[in-house]
Amino acid sequence: MAAARRYTLLSLFALGWIALPFWLLIVNSAKTEGDAGALSVGLPARWSAVENYATVVHQGRYLVGLGNSLLMTVPVILAVLLLGSMAAWAYARSPGRTLRFTYYASVLSVVLPPAIIPTVYTLTELGLNGTRLGYLLTVIGTRLGMVVFLCTGFVRTLPVDWEEAARLDGANRWQVYRRIVLPLLSPALFTGAVLLVINVWNDFFFALFLLQGPDRATLPLTLCQFASSSTHGLRWNLVFAHVILTSLPLLVAYVMLQRRVLSGLTEGGTTG
Amino acid sequence: MTTVRGPAAGRLSPAVRAATGRRHARRPALTLFALPSIALVALFFLIPFLANVVFAFVRWTGYSDTISWSGLTNFALLNQLGILGHAIRITVIYAVISMVVQNTVGLGLATALQRTNRANTIFRSIFFIPVLMSPLAAGYIWAAVLSPNGPANAFLSAVLPGTYHYAYLGHDVSALVTVACIDAWKWSGLATLVYIAGLNRIPAQLTEAADIDGAGSWRRFWSIKFPLLAPAVTFNVVITLVGAFSALDAVFATTGGGPGDATTLLNVALYNQYGQSYFGQASALGLVVTLLVVVTAVPLLGWLRRREVQM
Repeated sequence: MAAARRYTLLSLFALGWIALPFWLLIVNSAKTEGDAGALSVGLPARWSAVENYATVVHQGRYLVGLGNSLLMTVPVILAVLLLGSMAAWAYARSPGRTLRFTYYASVLSVVLPPAIIPTVYTLTELGLNGTRLGYLLTVIGTRLGMVVFLCTGFVRTLPVDWEEAARLDGANRWQVYRRIVLPLLSPALFTGAVLLVINVWNDFFFALFLLQGPDRATLPLTLCQFASSSTHGLRWNLVFAHVILTSLPLLVAYVMLQRRVLSGLTEGGTTG
Repeated sequence: MTTVRGPAAGRLSPAVRAATGRRHARRPALTLFALPSIALVALFFLIPFLANVVFAFVRWTGYSDTISWSGLTNFALLNQLGILGHAIRITVIYAVISMVVQNTVGLGLATALQRTNRANTIFRSIFFIPVLMSPLAAGYIWAAVLSPNGPANAFLSAVLPGTYHYAYLGHDVSALVTVACIDAWKWSGLATLVYIAGLNRIPAQLTEAADIDGAGSWRRFWSIKFPLLAPAVTFNVVITLVGAFSALDAVFATTGGGPGDATTLLNVALYNQYGQSYFGQASALGLVVTLLVVVTAVPLLGWLRRREVQM
């Protein structure tokens, strides 16, 4: 009885919280501009899905955005996971005072907001303002703290014995890291990767300030530019089609990996 | 072993020599592994962060090549324009609303979905979907749901007497509340997972004992589970609050800061100042966001930590 009532309530909540907004999004992305303006939840009177999505791909510069998003997200994630886990190993295994200071500085970057104006200034001084490299380095520098935090805690729970045994067998430090530490870290790295993908793929803040020109725009930027490009009000059918195409890569990945994603986030890392 | 020196060391096996040498070489070699990370964090987080403290007090615009010390002028100018106090006030209100909604929804869903079974797993994965969306996308979707002729008003018109065409994003207070809720919608799924993890760490004997003693489910929740959930509450309250202080995206997709300046949060005001090439004033607003995070997060963390029940 109690379970039945709970699931009824949950379903009603899911209806308004998830089903309604997503249904409105999907169904209106397939309507004509005039039809979609009414923002009704009914099926399209005339289907216009192919035209809408084609318009988004051409006028909305979707492929440029997709290419740029991949070009930014993939290197950021690889670099942050590699450099972050390397640093975490050093932080967990070394009692040095300097390293303790840099560890706390890194962890602070998880909580404190990035200082965007001085970042623009620093990048200008380095000749990187507005470029992809400047954006990459900034996002890497500000996201490292999260992976450092997740992995340092994780390494501390691992016994040192395996690392010492490998050293006795003649392995050098890089080999110990590569063959022993990195494989053991994979649960923490997976959790970190999930949080990073969500964060970096959807990043609008840094992209807005640091990426200049339409050719460098990532998907959130192309979405925003496309939506605000029409002079009188939003063309809902096209905005919705762009929203769907922009979110699709993450949603597809989620459908394939959802069990691991949810258990990774529930069990790994997010402790109090 | 480390005292073995000189000729004696030559007679040891390579393995032992590696072990003795390790103590000596440990620190520099390990530091090398942290070096790339340290360099990047220093250059792109720490130095800009410290520089911001200086930049907030200099005259620096796009209209002049010189940057000069100006004391509190940036803050005074922002105050004269009516930007500073207003932006601080609405940013705090926005963050509190977003934090409360996220934690209420997150805790409610986590309590309902704590047990891992087939139905709960499906619900969990459905409620997580908004976390994957960009705040921009969330903004566009909800701007449509809540538009004067959108489905929210249509629903109200259907169940209540009269017809409704309320512009949720068109009035000062409701616009701020609405945008904060959109932000909360996007992140609630993550808070839910943190709370589920927290609930699963509570030993089952405790709730069972309360059950045997005749405590109802409401009593069991507030007297047993909630106090033991403190670490998860600490984490979620701080993270959601701090995240909302730096909000920008959802506003861009919904109100653009309006109506008037009703949703011009600190970061939106910062972007506006930056767009007009007032870099000093933009830095001043950035410093205010940082101070807000520090003065809120640090005492809150301490206070919530003290309330945590030792297990």
